[in-house]
Amino acid sequence: MYPLSSQRRSWTFANEEQLRVFRVEQNTKYIEEHAAEAPSPDNLNDYFLTPDEERLLLKQYEIYLIDFCRRFEPPMPKCVIGTAFHYFKRFYLNNTPMDYHPKEILATCVFVACKVEEFNVSINQFVNNIKGDRNKATDIVLSNELLLIGQLNYYLTVHNPFRPIEGFIIDIKTRSKMINPERLRPHIDSFMDSIFFTDACMLHTPSQIGLASILHAASKEQENLDTYVTEALFVSAPEKLRGLIEAVRKIRMLVKNYEPPEREAVKVIEKKLDKCRNQNNNPDSELYKERLRRLYTDEDDMPADDASFHIADVSSDTSAMNISQ
Amino acid sequence: MEEQACPRCKTTKYRNPSLKLMVNVCGHTLCESCVDMLFLKGSGACPECMVPLRRNNFRVQLFEDPMVEKEVDIRRRILRDYNKREEDFATLEEYNDYLEEIEDIVYNLCNNIEIIETNKRIEAYKRDNREIIQRNKARVGRDEYALEELLELERVQEESRKKELDELETEHKKKKARDKQALIEELMYSGKDAAQIVSEFAEKAEKQREEEKQLPPPKAATEFSTGIKFGQSADPTLLPVPKSDEGPLFVYEPFIPYTEGPVPPQAIDVDTMGYIQHIRVETPQENAGGFTSTMACQRALEEALQCLYFTPTAGLGVGL
Repeated sequence: MYPLSSQRRSWTFANEEQLRVFRVEQNTKYIEEHAAEAPSPDNLNDYFLTPDEERLLLKQYEIYLIDFCRRFEPPMPKCVIGTAFHYFKRFYLNNTPMDYHPKEILATCVFVACKVEEFNVSINQFVNNIKGDRNKATDIVLSNELLLIGQLNYYLTVHNPFRPIEGFIIDIKTRSKMINPERLRPHIDSFMDSIFFTDACMLHTPSQIGLASILHAASKEQENLDTYVTEALFVSAPEKLRGLIEAVRKIRMLVKNYEPPEREAVKVIEKKLDKCRNQNNNPDSELYKERLRRLYTDEDDMPADDASFHIADVSSDTSAMNISQ
Repeated sequence: MEEQACPRCKTTKYRNPSLKLMVNVCGHTLCESCVDMLFLKGSGACPECMVPLRRNNFRVQLFEDPMVEKEVDIRRRILRDYNKREEDFATLEEYNDYLEEIEDIVYNLCNNIEIIETNKRIEAYKRDNREIIQRNKARVGRDEYALEELLELERVQEESRKKELDELETEHKKKKARDKQALIEELMYSGKDAAQIVSEFAEKAEKQREEEKQLPPPKAATEFSTGIKFGQSADPTLLPVPKSDEGPLFVYEPFIPYTEGPVPPQAIDVDTMGYIQHIRVETPQENAGGFTSTMACQRALEEALQCLYFTPTAGLGVGL
């Protein structure tokens, strides 16, 4: 039940400002910790990513996420996509992309979402959808899984707006006099797609988002559902109507103001990320392999050569997996 | 039994069907009277095959065919020594070989084939497996003993119960006789009205019957006559079930759903107000699991209306 859920309690915020504060905080914390790695201490921002660059990067990776989910074999239900988006956004509220590369977290989010939403996919089936080295991908996903769940504070149940939308459509069919509400569906679908690129899911309740999408679709079809809203929904509490209208307006603004990032800009940012990312967590780096080696062997006997670890992979390709085209 | 005739006094069998046929180790039958006569005369030999016999070798015949009797006898004798069990063998094959050997021996002895050879085999086996034979004999003995004890127990219980019932019967009869006697005396000697007296007695009889029912049932015997206790059906190592202190009783409080939004329709409304038409009917598999389309409809509506009025304030998010 959403009203009693952890989502409402700890993962819904008042406004975008709060979210921005969290993100900036993470960014500054990382930069402070790794300031020593920068080539010149004064131009930290040239070396490290700024919060805005991070936002752009994450937006791009959200687009990759939805592409990945759309092309997934077997076909993925919408609720899994919704949950994966939630996890992705929540994770990067408390962490910076420099620490954990978005590509890896993306795959992990989708994997965990599949499990939570009971869309059972084995790890092998899952990595079949990823291009590139399958073994490496398996390792990455499995090792990040626990990290992701921990960063979500183990609150894994996500309430998506899809069921409220169905509920509203049923209600409209029963109580309002609108003709053929099924016309609204394609508009609703496209609205929902764009919603997930914004932060709406962390600022509003799923039912409000659902209502916003219904009203948006209605206006696209030149229909007016205001009578339905005022009479059917708010007949008992007219004073709350204002709050709802505000919320709906904000949601629609968010969707309208969203613009996908430019590819070129993102490419530049990615290059920058490669240099400044935390090498401890980069599966390609020597540092990571060293750490793993030390983790898995006793201090006394360090093997001469670790042919046993398939993570010690000598591919010339620097990226861990290729999810994007 | 009537068809068979004793080979010696042929006539006597038909005349006296209750006469039993005895059989001996060589398998030939003799009726009881012939056996007596044979041993009166002092000679101990079978009339047909002249094998020397002893009186106690004669047993009452159980089977019609004397050959069967002979075989049963031989088998019993052999199995007293060849008493290994399946657990004593490593593989099933070995056990089967052992069984086959027993059969061979019995067959040979029964049909008088290679008797000397076979007896030698038996002797050899007995010598080799002396300990195992002894152990198995002891084991069989123990089982039988336990069974016997149980039987004894049952028998004694049965007896004591019967005795009690008898006593009760006699007691009852005596009482009735006494009551009758008392009634007659009253009628004869007291001056009261006859009908009254009769009714008084009837009441008393009723009361007594009630009391009898209330008497506790007679205590079951718990001892042998020798003083050994029996009847311990319950395992004395188990403790009685501990009584747990019951805390405050559970009181049902109906669940009040908390929605910050308009009130969703109840289950009944879902059908009557026509919401149900807009949702697909559940498949038979779903219905078997207890799922109905009303539930799905209600859930969708509830989720649509939950928290519509809610305006979020600061969430906790970070690390909490």
